[in-house]
Amino acid sequence: MLRLLRSEIYRLRRRWMPWIMLGLIFVAAFAIYFLIWASTQAQIELIRSGQAPPQGGPTIAQLQETLLIVTPERVQDFGVSVVSGFGSVMLIVFAASHVGTEFGWGTFRTLLAHGASRSGFLVSKAASLIFYALVFMTVGTAAAIAGSYTVSSLAGLPVGTGVDVAEVARVAAKSEYTFLPYMALALAIAVWSKSAGAGIAAGLVVYFAEGLVATLLVSLNRDYAQIVNWGLSRNASALTRTASGQGGPATQDPTASTLPDPTQAAIVLAVYAVIFLALAYWRLRSRDVTVGG
Amino acid sequence: MTVQPHEVVLRTTGLVKRFGSITAVDGLDLEVRRGEVVGLLGPNGAGKSTTIGMVLGLITPNAGTAEVLGRDVRVRREDALAGVGAMLEVTSFYPYLSGRDNLAAVALLRGGGALARVDPLLARLGLGPRGGSKFRTYSLGMRQRLGIASTLLADPALVILDEPANGLDPAGQREIRELIRELAGENRGVLLASHLLYEVEQVCDRVLVIKKGKLIASGTIAEVTRRGAYFEIVVDDKRRATEILRGLRIKEIRETPTGLDVVTDPGRGAELNRALASAGVYASALIPRATSLEDVFMELTETEGPSAATAS
Repeated sequence: MLRLLRSEIYRLRRRWMPWIMLGLIFVAAFAIYFLIWASTQAQIELIRSGQAPPQGGPTIAQLQETLLIVTPERVQDFGVSVVSGFGSVMLIVFAASHVGTEFGWGTFRTLLAHGASRSGFLVSKAASLIFYALVFMTVGTAAAIAGSYTVSSLAGLPVGTGVDVAEVARVAAKSEYTFLPYMALALAIAVWSKSAGAGIAAGLVVYFAEGLVATLLVSLNRDYAQIVNWGLSRNASALTRTASGQGGPATQDPTASTLPDPTQAAIVLAVYAVIFLALAYWRLRSRDVTVGG
Repeated sequence: MTVQPHEVVLRTTGLVKRFGSITAVDGLDLEVRRGEVVGLLGPNGAGKSTTIGMVLGLITPNAGTAEVLGRDVRVRREDALAGVGAMLEVTSFYPYLSGRDNLAAVALLRGGGALARVDPLLARLGLGPRGGSKFRTYSLGMRQRLGIASTLLADPALVILDEPANGLDPAGQREIRELIRELAGENRGVLLASHLLYEVEQVCDRVLVIKKGKLIASGTIAEVTRRGAYFEIVVDDKRRATEILRGLRIKEIRETPTGLDVVTDPGRGAELNRALASAGVYASALIPRATSLEDVFMELTETEGPSAATAS
């Protein structure tokens, strides 16, 4: 099992895709701070020059208040949520690709022919995905911190007590945890369909559509929360909401008060991840591996 | 552990595989010993790759067992495959990795001293100068060579090669034949599935011919080709000669423009001549004709249904 994991990490390090994704999240997390600062600054300048009257729009004070989200003290609220937003989609894509390409390239068959076990294959894939998600969140969060300090310095914003590293790490870890069932789902679909594309499609559809449907149903009738709270999105929201105290994206959710208990949410997400992996293993174990598969 | 010179490295017993209503492999028994090259022959769809798939634990048999070095592949798959190097019919590696990195990735999976064998194997298979090129840039022949190199990373007791000469030019095919003989010389057992009957004839000690999943002939090359050997008899009175020969338990008599072709053991020439002469039928020529493995293969596989005649 360990030998297979070593081989997996060796191949992962030599593939372009994971490095490109790390580069993208670094640039995105860093650049978003500049974009917010630049757009806010531009609006302030327009208001000051009288070209954009504040009727109905934000005042200079409100814009300056908005700009405070880029300060290091708020990285756990804003920076991590930016990384989490990009990261969820990118990691679903990566998880499906990480497994699905083995079938497309026929390398799953090659690995088995060289003595790898099917359970070892799945465990090494899952372990390397968790490891990669950890690296991804770390790089993204580090870029957000760097962006925050750089922009704060350029904008002359107060740095205050600086980044609360422990809190940022805690929030980032909880965010990463919410990705796991989605990644496991993408992996399972990729195994079942022997296709990265199907894994990506299924993972993204569930990620976006289930959240929308759940929010819509609870908005219509709060009793629906009893049902949709057993889905993925509501439990992920419950965890990320508490991850950032009362901040984070879930606070804009009008149905936030009906979200499940965070401990229950963590358990439900773990159960989903285990079920998806078990289904993937069951399919792998029972499949005859012929050419192309 | 002491290595026995003729130890059985692969044994299958009653292997059966059905895909729905189709029986791909039907009660196949085979054995490969150290130091010998065994050819697995059969037309497309005969069950060669399915058999190899079951030996490697890629395909689950419906019945029967496959043992490598005495270890049942279904029960102790990882232990069993530790002693096997296999190259499958379609050579698949990671396209974004170089040939060297692909071998290194397999070597890490294999463990032991496999990593140290990567460069020597690249050199042995003539891939040294292109070891750093991406696999996706490799020609079919280079891919085959890389596949063969990967089989030797684990210093295996059994090497399984499924169509190793696919895509190789004649010089490359000769190199592979030499390499296969070298592998047997290193006291490894080699199971070679191939369509290239000339190649099989050149390198194999024994052959197994399968058709529709059943073993229809097996033995040394000489034993298998002997079953198709015949005498060309030039004789005027074909009808009388046929009558005389029918009494001698001849496998097959075919009429030709100049006489008869008589399919029988190559050692019966004198007996045939004596029988004809004593009955007053004089042959003007009696020429022993050998058959190639290709002739026998075509005869065996074109005949409907499995033949009961097994050379050994």
